Amino acid sequence: MRFIFKTDYEDDIRLFPHSGYVWSYGTLLLLLAIAPFVLSSYLMSQLVFVCIYATVGVGLLILTGFTGQASLGHAAFLAIGAYTTAYLQQYNVPFPVYFLAAGLLTGVVGALVGFPALRLQGIYLVIATISFAFIVEEILARWESVTHGNEGMRVKTLTLLGTAVPRDSPAFYFLCLGVLILTIVGSLNLLRSPTGRAFVAIRDSETAARSMGVNVALYKVKSFAISAAITGMAGCLYAHKLSFISPEMFTLQLSIEFIIVILIGGTFSLHGAVLGAIFLVMIDPFLTYLKDDMPGIIANVAAAFGASKATASNIQSNVAAFASANGLKGAIYGVIIMLFVLFEPLGLYGRWLKIKLFFQLFPLYKRATFKRQKIYVKSERNR
Amino acid sequence: MTKTFKALGLAVGALALTHLPAAAQTKVTNQGISADEIVIGTHQDLSGPIKVWGVPVSNGMKMAVEEINAAGGIQGRKIKMILEDSGYDPKRAVLASQKMVERDKVFAMVGPMGSPTVLAAQDVLFDAGVLQLFPLTAAEFTFKFDPAKPQERLKFNNLLPYVESTRAALKHMIEWKGFKKPCVMHQDDEYGKNVLDGFNQQLVAMKIQPASITSYKRGVSDFSAQVAKMKADGCDLVVLGTVIRETIGAMGEAKKLGWDVTFLGATPTNVLEVPTLGKEAVEGLYAASGFEIPYEDTAKGKVKDWLANYKKMFGSDANTQAIIGYNAVMTFAHYANKAGKDLTGQKMLDSLESGDKFLDIFSSPPTKFSKTDHLANTITQVQQIKNGRWVLVKEGLMF
Repeated sequence: MRFIFKTDYEDDIRLFPHSGYVWSYGTLLLLLAIAPFVLSSYLMSQLVFVCIYATVGVGLLILTGFTGQASLGHAAFLAIGAYTTAYLQQYNVPFPVYFLAAGLLTGVVGALVGFPALRLQGIYLVIATISFAFIVEEILARWESVTHGNEGMRVKTLTLLGTAVPRDSPAFYFLCLGVLILTIVGSLNLLRSPTGRAFVAIRDSETAARSMGVNVALYKVKSFAISAAITGMAGCLYAHKLSFISPEMFTLQLSIEFIIVILIGGTFSLHGAVLGAIFLVMIDPFLTYLKDDMPGIIANVAAAFGASKATASNIQSNVAAFASANGLKGAIYGVIIMLFVLFEPLGLYGRWLKIKLFFQLFPLYKRATFKRQKIYVKSERNR
Repeated sequence: MTKTFKALGLAVGALALTHLPAAAQTKVTNQGISADEIVIGTHQDLSGPIKVWGVPVSNGMKMAVEEINAAGGIQGRKIKMILEDSGYDPKRAVLASQKMVERDKVFAMVGPMGSPTVLAAQDVLFDAGVLQLFPLTAAEFTFKFDPAKPQERLKFNNLLPYVESTRAALKHMIEWKGFKKPCVMHQDDEYGKNVLDGFNQQLVAMKIQPASITSYKRGVSDFSAQVAKMKADGCDLVVLGTVIRETIGAMGEAKKLGWDVTFLGATPTNVLEVPTLGKEAVEGLYAASGFEIPYEDTAKGKVKDWLANYKKMFGSDANTQAIIGYNAVMTFAHYANKAGKDLTGQKMLDSLESGDKFLDIFSSPPTKFSKTDHLANTITQVQQIKNGRWVLVKEGLMF
């Protein structure tokens, strides 16, 4: 077990508290850098979606995890970013410009949503953000001169510095990864600044924050704007990855997916956004993989235990029939989420911290270490 | 100096020349074809908002595969079909397509479901040279292609497009019954927009003013406002860009108001569920359609056997969706068979574009493609519900 002896404020806000962090993140970065040259484009595609979802997750964490304002409207922010991309691309606007424009416009819209949200809390705020998402969906379907309505819009291949960056190329992956890393570093920086501390203060108790001199209205609007801007930039990448966008893609279900990302990952740290995105994007391909390969494996195991060839192939076809039943994947997915909410409210990252601590303190680990966590939902009674 | 430049220019020119024909050539994959097997893939919505389509379509496809394999396969090769669930989510459709192209090595994507899902995933197929055949969306992008982009030649569709079929049916109805004030009620999505476009285009062509245009959001179940408005506007023909529940809801509402008006549905209303669930409310509904829906007691020969087989395999009655899924695989098999014993991607493409006709067992209009036209046909029928059954009114319609 390592003890970090902090002697001044700089030590307290350091991004890498000790050399172990540099080594582990360095290794991770190296692995991510060589990934496109080792992995198949199917896996790379999953990683690109992970990067995009994680970026949105970071945006949502700033709002929900750190400022304590729930939102079920992030699909709409993603849509605004995506449509800004598709619209500006028609006029041959270069990528860096429309990428930033997507973020800026979504940020402004986010701030506008933030104002009415000042008077709303908890479930009422959720309802307000859902209605905002419906309004955006309706506008996208109606404003045909700009959005092409329900026909949807094709998004051309991204060009950067005069070269095409197809959505399945390593370059596109590095772009998404770069955006994610910059977002994470930027957000970490934000969260250790006075602004970030004001966010957390508002989350823990609005009354306390106000009495400490935090301008609650200003910081709530700021939080909405920053969160929306990050989601808008992710929307630009999302549009390029899918190469086609239409209003029916940005529904409530997508907003719920984003909430799932941070709930599964963990709402108290930015790690949660990445881990949650990995879970959300990769669980489906993983279950597909199991569906394809499990029957064969089970049959082999049965054969190893002395089952005859006919029995083994019988087992294989029965398991295959069961595994490809309609809706089974959805059910498994739902059960996993329920188990998480019931037994691991701190999410994947919370579980990771517990495992790490277990080995660090072995054999002295005690469960109660994680008992007292003040989660923003609980602090609502202090408002 | 100049000599070097000339030589360089010549070399560059030669290089460009050698690359030109290669760029104009469509790359078609040969993967998935082995001595005794052809692997095809499809992604359906088995758990999402349009699973009423995805499940029977995939059933129909499974049935076709079993039938073909039982009869010895295509030139001795059995078909292996990989089925993935997209849940109508474009992200999952992209990943499923990549998985099928890379892991399962599919030769062709047959009958994938839905507009956003098919469009988001289609470049994955074209980049790998995999054919995209007969997707379950009648949108234009599934058959219109740009000759300058050779990979786009890999798309073919055999579904009747909504715009064309609505126009043909509307034209027939107006010419036949002399309607003066046609209206439209459409679903607020891409499908409904297509019906609206067909409606508007045909009225412009016939110089008639639309009396009323109304719409509704997918999922709503109350149409009193829309129907009341159309009644107030004095419509004499209502074109429905609806699916099942909305068709029944709108017609039920009109009956409740005692409004006697003619309804004409777009092709998605021409399914068995409408008369089965709507009963008296939908009596007299006209609909555009591509082929006649077979009934177990009146069907003859092959179709009768087919209906019985379907019921035996899946424990439910076959519907239009199942027929479309079945036909998608059968059409693939027809052209793959014609491509010959030593099947390759290029031979399959040539076979599809040869203009050879495929006739299904349901006596639909013949399917035929050419080098410039990758849409099977736009020949439309009009059918009507009489005594709870779809009855053919007029066939061979064009606009």
